Amino acid sequence: MTTITYPLSRIEGHARVVIDIHDDEVFRADFQAMEMRGFSYYVQGVPAEQITVIVPRICGVCSTAHQVASVKALEDVFGVTPPPLAEEIREVLLLGQLIQNQATSLFIFTMPDRLNASSLFEVSETQKEKERQFSLAQMALRVRKIGTDLISLAGGQFIHPIKTTIGGVTSGIPRQKADEMIMTIDELLPVAYNLVDTYWQMSMEMGNRIGSWGDDEPTYYLASTESNHFRLNSKRLRLMCPEGRECQTFDAHEFESYLQVEDSDYSYAGISSFQGNIMRANSLARINLTTSFGTPKADAFLKRFVETFGRPAHAIMFFDLCRGIELVHALEKSRLMLEADLEHGETEVGYTPRDGVGYGLVEAPRGPLIHHYEVENGLIKNADFIIPTVHNMLAIRRALMVAAKRYVSSDGISSELGRAVGRVVRAFDPCIACATK
Amino acid sequence: MESKKELPKFAVLQLSGCSGCEVSLLNSDEWINDFNLVYMPLVVTTNKIPDDVEVLLVSGGVRTDEDIHNLRKGASRSKKVIAVGTCALSGGVAQIRETHQARDTYLLSSHRLRLPDMLPRAFPIDRFVPVDLYLPGCPPTPQLFMTALKEGENAKIASIVCQECGRQKLQDMRPTSITGMRSGVTLPDICLINQGYLCVGTSTRGGCGALCTRPGHACVGCRGPANPYLNKEPKFVLDNLRRVFTRMTDIPEEEINEALESPWLSLFLDQFTDYTQDESLPLRTKEKMI
Repeated sequence: MTTITYPLSRIEGHARVVIDIHDDEVFRADFQAMEMRGFSYYVQGVPAEQITVIVPRICGVCSTAHQVASVKALEDVFGVTPPPLAEEIREVLLLGQLIQNQATSLFIFTMPDRLNASSLFEVSETQKEKERQFSLAQMALRVRKIGTDLISLAGGQFIHPIKTTIGGVTSGIPRQKADEMIMTIDELLPVAYNLVDTYWQMSMEMGNRIGSWGDDEPTYYLASTESNHFRLNSKRLRLMCPEGRECQTFDAHEFESYLQVEDSDYSYAGISSFQGNIMRANSLARINLTTSFGTPKADAFLKRFVETFGRPAHAIMFFDLCRGIELVHALEKSRLMLEADLEHGETEVGYTPRDGVGYGLVEAPRGPLIHHYEVENGLIKNADFIIPTVHNMLAIRRALMVAAKRYVSSDGISSELGRAVGRVVRAFDPCIACATK
Repeated sequence: MESKKELPKFAVLQLSGCSGCEVSLLNSDEWINDFNLVYMPLVVTTNKIPDDVEVLLVSGGVRTDEDIHNLRKGASRSKKVIAVGTCALSGGVAQIRETHQARDTYLLSSHRLRLPDMLPRAFPIDRFVPVDLYLPGCPPTPQLFMTALKEGENAKIASIVCQECGRQKLQDMRPTSITGMRSGVTLPDICLINQGYLCVGTSTRGGCGALCTRPGHACVGCRGPANPYLNKEPKFVLDNLRRVFTRMTDIPEEEINEALESPWLSLFLDQFTDYTQDESLPLRTKEKMI
């Protein structure tokens, strides 16, 4: 038996892939989370209203989604309905997070695979390549910064945002700031469009060079955005069956009837399934479940995607392309939303704490995120976090197996396997901090 | 870009944390032309920290046996070690409710074959390696990262959060309970303590630009105690907060005491003050704090 361990980089958190091979046959390909965060244990007993400050710290990459899901869960416990203006500002906040996350995954995490570089900041040998890479890096960081600036604008600060509070948001978005943001988006939307287009071409070349787009077995898909209304401050979960039919719709509080979550013995992260079946969340799930974005550039990309790859599309490298479509849409959509008056009007309502059970759902960049709390005597008695990355764990494992079998044969183990393992995992853009909450 | 390979080597080692510090660093690109980034697994494919690193940033707490190994190895190859973020300074959010029975449940469930072992608690990094500079914050802002990298020990930092907040403290607006956040109204420009918030900005180290309090969220103390309370027992910070609330509000003494002693402040205040209880740790002088 040969065991090969591949450390992973250009993903969030500490993880590795371990592959067991015996007589040219692949036995296991495990994706291992290497540490345990343990939030669900140590938030037990803290004052309920403090948890919205604690849980963004589950993850500095996904802090926005955790903060909004947490506030929504407590609003559910306390029976509070935030004013419409607050819901709009929360949507802008979540769009900001989608922009920064997809830009990070596309350009910082996965573009180096397409450039054959170790990082976007690597210094290339030839002058021509050097200039190209420097220009790509600068454009990518500028596009990504729109996301971080939007989070700061709507959330107060970029990492672990604070403006979303029980009952609404603490303040609106001043007209002048919104106008400045609109000008920046107008300037950088064409840049983002071209970057995504370039990324698309690089991906086609990579797919042709490798001869595969990875695991493409039909699978279940889970998302909480609507078919023709891409709202991240979401309300219900939707499930697509492998043949492409939307087969289930359910509320956050019903999740246990549909999703099975359990520990795994080979990783500090858990695994979840749809009634025992492998499922996928994240960009490809949302795109498969979206018929229209309602913004022109994203819809043009969506049309190109469906015409080229079909619907539902299954190969894992499509996750990366779908992030590009979503990046363009989130820029278009946030621009539209900032045109409205987000400054005047009621931003928050008062509340009276009470005990009970509550659920908070948002569509995080990696898929539907649910916070589920039980409050007793004003304290958190139990907290459960249903994490998007965990929904993908079985799918990651299967895709790693497909890749390992491709590169292990009687001729030996191809040196391409190490790169393939990185590409497979990055396609799912897993977040280890979240997955080991 | 031309001479990048001759620039000082810069490495970022992430132990057990949330990546928030790394993301904050990426939000400033001012360092890109001043340093040669040789190690930062979040953005670069590298498995080991090379020799002769000029500056090593360490984020995250020490939580697994592998963290200890990586930390010692990284520090031994680096000239200057900067501890960044609350986790590297205090063990971090993993330290909340340390004594709670949930902790035991957690440890029982945190063992896996073929994976690094979890330590019984999260440790600050200066328990294992000498630290040249401390940069507290959850996370430190991009500006604070630049201050630490460019000015180091010579940096001038606002002493407390109030200095940068800009909200006005009023004499005649005296709340009678600490439940301001439940009211549904946050008035702009007026001190959050006047509005009945449990804000600890009066005792917390500044430099963050008051980015929580200005939009209307109480300071939770993520930058840790201000200079007068460094290396001191929790009592000194709590006494100061008690004085502030007695002077500025009509909140009954019992309610103030209860709030200060409840887990409300456990996220940050307890973590930093907990530090003073461990005699094996070095003193942190104000000259080393950003």
